[in-house]
Amino acid sequence: MDLNDYIYKFAQETPDRLAIVTPTEQITYGELWDHISTNGAILEQQGVRPQEAHVFRASQSINFITTYCAVHFNHAVAVPLEQSTPQEVFDGIQKETNHHVFPKGTADLLFTSGSTGKAKGVMLSDTALTTCAENFLHHHPYTSDLVFIISGPLNHIASLFKIHPTLMAGGTVCVIDGLKDINAFFDVFRKFPDRRFGMFLVPASIRMILQFSRDQLVEVADKIAFIETGAAPITKSDMAELASVLPNARLFNSLGGTEIGCVCTYDFNDGKYMAGCVGRTMYHSHIEINDEGTILISGPTLFTGYFKNPEQTASVLRDGVFHTSDRGYFDEEGNIHLLGRSDDAINVGGFKADPIEIENVVMTLPYVADCICISAPHPIAGTCIKLLYMVKEGQTCTHRDVALYLKSRLEAYKIPTLFEQVESIKLTYNGKKDRQYYKQ
Amino acid sequence: MKQEIRTLLEDSLPLVDFDSDFLFAELDSLGIAQILMSLSLKYNIPLGAKDVTPKNFKNLDALVSLVESKKNK
Repeated sequence: MDLNDYIYKFAQETPDRLAIVTPTEQITYGELWDHISTNGAILEQQGVRPQEAHVFRASQSINFITTYCAVHFNHAVAVPLEQSTPQEVFDGIQKETNHHVFPKGTADLLFTSGSTGKAKGVMLSDTALTTCAENFLHHHPYTSDLVFIISGPLNHIASLFKIHPTLMAGGTVCVIDGLKDINAFFDVFRKFPDRRFGMFLVPASIRMILQFSRDQLVEVADKIAFIETGAAPITKSDMAELASVLPNARLFNSLGGTEIGCVCTYDFNDGKYMAGCVGRTMYHSHIEINDEGTILISGPTLFTGYFKNPEQTASVLRDGVFHTSDRGYFDEEGNIHLLGRSDDAINVGGFKADPIEIENVVMTLPYVADCICISAPHPIAGTCIKLLYMVKEGQTCTHRDVALYLKSRLEAYKIPTLFEQVESIKLTYNGKKDRQYYKQ
Repeated sequence: MKQEIRTLLEDSLPLVDFDSDFLFAELDSLGIAQILMSLSLKYNIPLGAKDVTPKNFKNLDALVSLVESKKNK
């Protein structure tokens, strides 16, 4: 059974139960099913065919989720792009996917940062989405009385893939627009006084809540069934502090990714608060670590390939095994510990940004002579992107000039937080940017 | 103080237009956190999530008023 089968089932059995809420709207399972079937018919009239793509912007709304489900209802491929995607990029993806016939069973095409300066389209099957949801249902306490709060952007798997287990358990998805208005986040708990809550929060959000809203978190502690984190490293001290504020909640740190789904999870209520630990393998997944320390993943949650890029697919997916860029090891208890990445991606609050993609855009500025994007420490996000750039002789510009230019050409999370004008960029002996030098 | 706050915040958030009267709408959660941290450290004042209201973050003048009111407490 896939997500729509479950929604149909609950629409028949408990039509008045709340399926999705936002600060301004709500919808029951009965209404949700009606919306999905109606939207499915509208999309068909608009020419959305089975195995073809429907490109649309992700928004924190009920309409986005009903459209996403309606695309699957039509056996078409959902291509949700970040809301801030520049129109030029949106049009390019629409053009590239137009009338392309995807392999049967393809459900989603999600774009993620590539290591070659170009975003990669990750193709995911119905089976991958369903088995990933089953991994969550097996290991995390999703129940029918749960309200799962989604605060991150719905095109990102850390948010998008939480819709499935919540609705497959008959629970309620609560979508809010980020944690900017932290008071709106805590209002959700007051709105449903008799419900239990689950949520996914990136480590940066946990740090922010602990630093600025600790008292409010204490007030709602007994209502929280579980919190899952992941997508970026969480510190031992934040794990311990969260556990002390929420002694009765279950707390998980998971390993996941667009290409792999969610594959292992660490219940850090064990009192050890092991930083870098992502726990044991989940129900449908299998993990091995090769002699070089690279984490290899197999199982039905894996993607089926990169869109129109068989070479890149073959470089990471061979004989049903995905070769990650993560290095790690197993401890005696079978827990996996991460040791870092072997590529240059910079993790910004759970989003992995490719420095080459950003540098390529910076280099189109006429006054920039050279540049490099590096990872820098950030007190809330853990790490952020720092751009070092050289200006051509006789030219001047401000950090703001560069930032505004990038804003018009890149998604928001790829815009560097820190800028520095430098006299030179350190190169290797063969003239490449010396990324290792800047990692030290 | 207004110019001092402007310089401090423009340096850490170069994308944000601090002349805007819709500052709250321009910021994301990390931007809000960055402002709370920067002002809290610079002026040694306690700032928390309860101070994050559209009124307090309407524009640069509102942020200056927030800092002044905290300093006077």
